[in-house]
Amino acid sequence: MKSLDPRVQRLPEELPPLQPKAPLDQFGSFEVFVQPKEGKPFQHEGIVHAPSLELAFVLAKEAFTRRFTCTSLYVTDTRNVMVSPTTEGNQNAYDLIPSVTEHQGGEPFEVYHLMKRGKQHLHAGTVEANSHEEAFSKAKAAFGSKQVFNVWVVRRSDIRFTRPEEQDLWLTLPEKKFRDASDYKGGDKLKEFLERQSSKS
Amino acid sequence: MNEQALKEFLYKMADDTLIIGHRNSEWTGMGPILEEDIAFSSMAQDQIGQSLALFTLLHQLGEQEPDTVAFMRNANQFHNCILTELPNQEYDFSIVRHFLYTTSATLRWDMCTHSSYEPLAQLAKKVKGELRYHSLHARTWIQQLGSATEESISRLQRSLELAMPYALGIFEESPFEKELVAQHIFEGEKRLMEKWLSAIEEVLGKTQLVIPDLKLIQPVLGGRKGQHSEHLQPLLDEMSEVFRTEPGAEW
Amino acid sequence: MYGGGNTFEGIKTDSLAQEDPQKLAAFEARIARGEKIEPTDWMPQLYRKQLIRMIEQHAHSEIIGALPEGTWITRAPGFKRKMALMAKVQDEVGHAQLLYSAAETLGKSREEMINDLISGRSKYSNVFNYPTFTWADCCFISWLVDAGAIVNQLANAKGSYGPYCRALDRICAEESFHLKYGHHCVIYLASGTPHQREMFQEALNRWWTPMMHFFGPSDKISAHTEILMRWKVKMGTNDEMRNQFLDMYVPKIWELGFTIPDPALKKDPATGKWAYTEPDWEEFKRVINGDGPCNKERLAVRRVAEERGRWVREALKSPKMNYVTPLA
Repeated sequence: MKSLDPRVQRLPEELPPLQPKAPLDQFGSFEVFVQPKEGKPFQHEGIVHAPSLELAFVLAKEAFTRRFTCTSLYVTDTRNVMVSPTTEGNQNAYDLIPSVTEHQGGEPFEVYHLMKRGKQHLHAGTVEANSHEEAFSKAKAAFGSKQVFNVWVVRRSDIRFTRPEEQDLWLTLPEKKFRDASDYKGGDKLKEFLERQSSKS
Repeated sequence: MNEQALKEFLYKMADDTLIIGHRNSEWTGMGPILEEDIAFSSMAQDQIGQSLALFTLLHQLGEQEPDTVAFMRNANQFHNCILTELPNQEYDFSIVRHFLYTTSATLRWDMCTHSSYEPLAQLAKKVKGELRYHSLHARTWIQQLGSATEESISRLQRSLELAMPYALGIFEESPFEKELVAQHIFEGEKRLMEKWLSAIEEVLGKTQLVIPDLKLIQPVLGGRKGQHSEHLQPLLDEMSEVFRTEPGAEW
Repeated sequence: MYGGGNTFEGIKTDSLAQEDPQKLAAFEARIARGEKIEPTDWMPQLYRKQLIRMIEQHAHSEIIGALPEGTWITRAPGFKRKMALMAKVQDEVGHAQLLYSAAETLGKSREEMINDLISGRSKYSNVFNYPTFTWADCCFISWLVDAGAIVNQLANAKGSYGPYCRALDRICAEESFHLKYGHHCVIYLASGTPHQREMFQEALNRWWTPMMHFFGPSDKISAHTEILMRWKVKMGTNDEMRNQFLDMYVPKIWELGFTIPDPALKKDPATGKWAYTEPDWEEFKRVINGDGPCNKERLAVRRVAEERGRWVREALKSPKMNYVTPLA
C-alpha cells in the first residue's frame, strides 16, 4: 500500500475481499477486578474479550494495569457474575433480594457493591454459601444495612486470581515514568527559550 | 573483571532487546484483537526500556550516550542475533519468534541475577516481573494456538520451522566465552541453550506442534559478529530517520 | 481522541411518542437529579440509539486515531520519544477497547461496530483523515488534537450514562500524559534548530483547518440537539467546545512564537469569545463523506488488520465461550 507509514507499506499489497462477520462472532466477555494498593478493596475496572479464562487474565493485565499502581488483578467469566436489580434514590438493592433458607457452610463467594451510580463496583467481602441465591441472601444478612444500588456475587472458584509468585508482575510499574505526565516537565526549556527570545528583541 | 568481555556481553543483550522491541512495536494499532494489540505493545515498551537500561550500564563503563549508540551505528556494528531483525510477517511468525526469543531472554536474565557484575545482577532482579509476564503471555498463546485448529497448528508449525535455524543463532558464542564463565559474569551460551531447549520442549509438548530435529538444522550465525541479514540496515535507517536529520539537535 | 464532529445530524424525535410517558418522566427526572443511568435501567429508544452512535464513533476515532501517529512509531527520535510514542499510541488502542465495551453494554457487539467501521457505514473523527508528513505533524496531534479531545471528553465525562462516564474517567487520566508529552515535544521543536522550528510551523499551517473542524460544524449550521443536551448525552455545543479550546491553547501556541494561519483570530476581551475565520465547512463535509486525503488508506489498513487477524480469532473461538453483553 502506498503510504507515509513505512509499516503500512509493508502490509500485503492486495486488499482481501470484505467478509462481514456474524454480529456475535466474537470471544466471550470477562470482568476485570484490580487492587490498586495493598489493603484497598478490589475494584471492577471493565471487561476484556478473550477465548479463555487464562488468556483473559493475560490480556487484562496490560489492558487495565499498565499504568497507576496495582498490587493484584483477577478476572472471571461475565456469565459467572450474578447481578441484583439496580435501584435509585433511597431504595437499597438488598431490599429487593429475596431471603432464602440458609444452610451452614458452603464455598466462598465474593460480594461486590455499587455504592453510587456511575462509579465502579467495589469488593465488599466474602460469604460462604452453597449457591448464588444463598450467597445473595447471606450477603444481605452480612452487609444489607448499608445503602447500595447494585450487588454482584461471584463464586471464588470461578475466578483466575494473581498467584503468589506472580506478585512481581507489577514490580517495575512505578519506574515506567515515560507513561506518566509528571515525566514531561518542559518548564525549564520553555523559560530558557523565552529568555533567549526576549534578549533578541 | 575483563571489561572487553563484559561490554561485548552487554552489547549483545542491549541490541537484541532493542531490535526485537522495535519489530514488535510495528504491530501497534494493527494487532489481531484489540486486547492483544495492547499487550504486545506493552512488551515492546518493556524491551526498549530494558535496552535503554543496558545501554546506560554501557555508558557508565565509558561507552557513548544510549541515544547515540542506538541511533547512530550501522548494521555491521550491531550484535543482535538475526532472529530479532527478521520482518514480522504474519502474526503466526511474530508470536512464534516472540515465544522462542522471550524464553531465551527470560532464562538469560534469570542467569544474570547471579552475575558477578553487580549492576547487571541488580537490573536482572528488577526486570524479573516484566520477563515473567512476557513468558506467561508467550506460553499461553502458543499453547492455545498450537492446539486449536488445523489452520492455526499448521501456521505455527511452518513458522517454527522457519524460525528455528535463526533461534539457534541466539546462542552463537562470544570470543570471550571462557572469560565470562571464569569470572562468573555469565554461565555461558551452552548452558543457556540447554535450559532453553528443555523450556521450549515443555511448552511445545503440551501442543500439537513438533520441534524440528535439531541435528538436521544448520544454525544461522553471524549476528553476534555484526554479519546480518539484508533486513537490519533498512530497519536502522528507518529507526534513525528523524534522529539523523539534525546532528546534535534535541528532540 | 474525539471531537464533536458529525454525531447528531438529523435526529428524529418521533419515536418518543411511542414511549411510556411515566417511564420517560422518571428517566428524565433521574437525569435532572444528576443520577447516572446504568445499563439495566429503562431508557428511551432514542437515548439508546444516540448513545450507541456517539460512543461507537468515539471508539472508532481512537482505533483510527492510532494510525496517523503510528506512522512515526518506528521513527521516533531517541529512546525517550520512542517509548513515549509507543505508549501513547497504545493508549489510543486501549481507549477504543474501553469505549467499545461501554457501547456494548447498550446492546451492540464489538464485532458489529467494527463491521460498520470497515464497511464505511459509521463515521469517525474527521481529523484522522489527514496525513502526518513529518515528525512535527505527529507532535501536533499528540499535543493539540489530544488537547481538543480532552476539552470534549472532560465535558462528556459529566454526561448521564454510567459506563461511558467510567470509561471517560479512565481515559481522561491517561490523556494528561498525552497532553504533557505532546507539549514537551513541541517545546523542544520550538527551542531547537531553525529547521526544527520550521517543521512545526509547517505542521501548524497544515493542521489548523482540520483542528478547527474537529469540534464540528458551527452552531449556526449544525442540527438541533436540545433533547440530547437535556438527556446529558451532548454536554456542550460545538462552538462552546471550540471556544474553550482556543482559549486554553492559542496563547500557548503564540507563547512559542508560532504563527497561527488565521489573521482574524483574536479574543474579544468583553465577551471572552474568540473571533476566527470560519473554516471551510464544504471541505469538512467532503472529507467526512469519504473524500479526504487519507480516508481510503485508514479504512484499508483497518480492514487488512481485521483480515490478517481473522485466523487467530477463528482458531480460538469455542462454542463454550459464547459472547455475552458486558455488565457495566
